[in-house]
Amino acid sequence: MKRIVSIIIMTAFIWMGCENKSTSPGVSDTEILIGNIQDLSGPIKELGLLIPAGTNMYLDYINSQGGVHGRQIKMLVEDHGYNPQKAVVAAKKLIEKDQVFCLYNVIGTSPAEAIRPILEESGVPLIAPATNSSSMSDMSRQAAEYIFHTDAGYDLQTRVLIDYIIDKNPDAKIGIAYQDDDYGENALKGCAEAEGNHGITVQKESFQRGATDFVGQTMNFMKGGCTDVIIGGIVREPVTIMKTAQAIGYKAQFYGLGPTVDPRVGMLAGEAGEGFIAAYWANYPNSDDSGPTLYRQLSEQNNVPEKMRGLYHYYGFATAHVLVEGLMKAGKYPTRERLMKGLETLHDWDSGVFPPITYSRNDHAGVESVILLQLQGGKQVAITDWRE
Amino acid sequence: MIKGRFDDENLKWIPVLIIVVFLFPFLLKSATFSYKYYLYILNIAGIYIILTVGLDILSGFTGLMSLGHAAFLAIGAYTSAILVDQVGLPFELSLIITPIIVGLFGFVIGFPALRIEGMYLGLTTMGFGFIVKRLIIAFREWTGGSGGLHVSKATFFGITINNDWDNYFMIYTFAILAIIIARRIVKSKLGRAFMAIRDSEQAAQASGINLAKYKMMSFFISGMFAGFAGVLFAHTSHFISTDHFDILLSILFIVMVLVGGVGSIYGAVLGTLFIVLMENMFIPLFEDGMSQFVHLEAGDFQVFIFGLIMLIFIIFQPLGLYGMWLKTRIYWKIFPFNPRKRFT
Repeated sequence: MKRIVSIIIMTAFIWMGCENKSTSPGVSDTEILIGNIQDLSGPIKELGLLIPAGTNMYLDYINSQGGVHGRQIKMLVEDHGYNPQKAVVAAKKLIEKDQVFCLYNVIGTSPAEAIRPILEESGVPLIAPATNSSSMSDMSRQAAEYIFHTDAGYDLQTRVLIDYIIDKNPDAKIGIAYQDDDYGENALKGCAEAEGNHGITVQKESFQRGATDFVGQTMNFMKGGCTDVIIGGIVREPVTIMKTAQAIGYKAQFYGLGPTVDPRVGMLAGEAGEGFIAAYWANYPNSDDSGPTLYRQLSEQNNVPEKMRGLYHYYGFATAHVLVEGLMKAGKYPTRERLMKGLETLHDWDSGVFPPITYSRNDHAGVESVILLQLQGGKQVAITDWRE
Repeated sequence: MIKGRFDDENLKWIPVLIIVVFLFPFLLKSATFSYKYYLYILNIAGIYIILTVGLDILSGFTGLMSLGHAAFLAIGAYTSAILVDQVGLPFELSLIITPIIVGLFGFVIGFPALRIEGMYLGLTTMGFGFIVKRLIIAFREWTGGSGGLHVSKATFFGITINNDWDNYFMIYTFAILAIIIARRIVKSKLGRAFMAIRDSEQAAQASGINLAKYKMMSFFISGMFAGFAGVLFAHTSHFISTDHFDILLSILFIVMVLVGGVGSIYGAVLGTLFIVLMENMFIPLFEDGMSQFVHLEAGDFQVFIFGLIMLIFIIFQPLGLYGMWLKTRIYWKIFPFNPRKRFT
C-alpha cells in the first residue's frame, strides 16, 4: 500500500514538473511557419508587394537576433487578387497543405471576412488582418475569438475627423467622398455616428474603386458649399480631388483616412496638397518614437529603396511587432491556444510602433485611438494628440 | 423497330464514372493529409461545372455570347442567402425557387438578344453584370451592401452540410444531374432548335423555329443552371460579396467552355476541371519552380499562362479538349488504317 501511495505521489510530482511540450502544426524545433495572404495580382497589388517586404524586414531582424525562443520565423505569402473566393482557397492551402501555425495580415475586408468560417473550423488564429474595417474587431461576429485586429477602424477615423472639424468651426459644411465598397461602407458608419452626435448633415459623394476622374464629385462639393472635405481613398483619390479643386478654383480644407497617410500624396499633389490633414492610428514613420526610429535604421541597413519606404512598407513592419509579441507570449512550446491566450494578456503594451495596445478575452480591437497628421512643406507633422 | 433517341450512344461507362466520382474523396483521403484543400477546389469546380454546362447551352449550342454569367451566379447566391437566412425558407425550396428567379432574369436579358448578336450581345450582358453589382450595393438592407453577406450552412433533408467532405457529395450529385439534364436538352427538339439558330438564323426561321421564343428559352435555361450553381456557391462559401463576382469570372467561364470545346456538354465539364485545377494547383506549382530562376509576380504569371492556353487552343485545337478526345478515339477506332495526313 505504502509503495502504491509513493508511486502515485512521485507520478504526480513528475507530472507537475513537466511542461506540456506539445506544439501546434507549423512549429518545428527550428522554425515557426506563418501564412500571409496578399493581393499580388489585383487592384491593390502594389500594397501586396510592399506590406510583406516590410514584415520580412522586421522578421529578418528578429531572426538575426536568434528568433523567438530559438526558432526562426518563416512567412509564406499567397495571392488572392482581392477575390474573396481565392482568399478562401489560399487560406485552405496554407492551413491544410502548408500547415502554417497561424495566419497573419490577410489584406482586404471581404477576403478577411470570407475566411472566417475556415478560422472557426480549423481554430487557426489570424493576427493583424490588413484592413481598417472595424468589423474585424466586432466580437459578436463569427470566429471573432480567433481574430486579433490592430488597426483603428475607418468609422473611428471618420468620426474623429468630423469631431475635429466641428471643434475648429461649428458652422463648417462637411463633405465626404467615399469608395463604394466595404471601405466606404465602414467610413459612412462613422460619419452617421458623428452626424447624430453633432446634429449635422454631411454631403456624401461616392466613387468606384479604381476611379480616376473626380471632377463630378469635386464640383458637387463646390456647389454644396463644403468648407471641409474628407476623402476616403488611398493615394490617387486625394491627389486627384485636391488637384481638381485647385484647377477649378475651389478652396476647401481636405482630409483623408488612414490609407492616405502615404508620402506619395504629398509628393504627387505638390502645392495642392499643402495643409492636407489625415487620420492615422500608428506612430507615423517620420516620428521620433522608438518603432519608427528602428524602421528607418533597418531600412538604411537593408538598402530599402526610397520609393518603397512609407506607409505600406511600414505597415508590414509595424504589425509584425504584434505577431512576434504573440509568439513570444505563446512560450517555448507554442500552440495556437497559447498564442491567443498570450495576446489576450497584453495590457497597455507599448510596442513603439503603436499607441499602447490592450487585448482581452472580449476585446480584440487593438489600436482604438487616432492622431491627426498635416502635410507641412511636404512633411507629415502631428497636429493633435491621440484622440478616441 | 424504331431506334430510341439515345440508342446510338455508348452509355455503359457513365455508371462507372459516377462510381469513380463518389469514390474519389476516399482515395484522396488515403493519399494525402491535405485532402480537405483539394476537396474544396473540387467543390468549386463542381459548382462551376453546373454553370458552364448551362453557359454551353447558351453559347455553344445557341450561339449567343454571354459575359454576364458571373452576375447570374451572384443573383443566385444572393437570392438563396436572402430566402434561406432572412425569409426563412428551407434550403430544399430555395434550390427550386432560386433557379427559376435567376432564369427569369435570363429571360429578361434575352430580350436584347432578339435584335443584337456577337460582341454587341457580349457587351450588353457585361453591362448587365455591372448593373447587378450596383443593385447589390444599393439593396444593402438585404444584401449587406459592399460589406458582403455571411451565409448559413445548407441543411438538406435534415442533414446539415458541415464541411467540404459533405459538400462534395451534394455538389457532385447535382453536377451529375445537371450534366444529364443538359445532355437531354441538347438531344431534344429544343436542343435541335438551339443548334439550328446557331448555324443559321434565317434557315432556322424558314424551318418554322420561333427565334424569339427559343433564344429567350435558351437564356432562361442557362440562367437556371447559373442560379442553381449560385445556391450551392453561397452555401459552400458561407460568405458572398460583390468582389466574388467580377467581370473576370465571367471571362473565365467563357475560357472554360472554349478550352473544353464549344458545343459539347462533356467539353464544358472537361474545360472547367482543367481551368480550375490549372489555376489552383498546377500554375502555383510551376510558379514555385520558376521562382528559383526568375523573379515573377504571381498574378502576372497566371494571367500569362491563361492567355497562352487560350491562344494555343484557339489556334491549334478549336474543338477544345473534348474535340481532342474525340479525335483520339476515332484514331484508335480505325487504327491501323488511318489516312496518313488526317490526324497530323
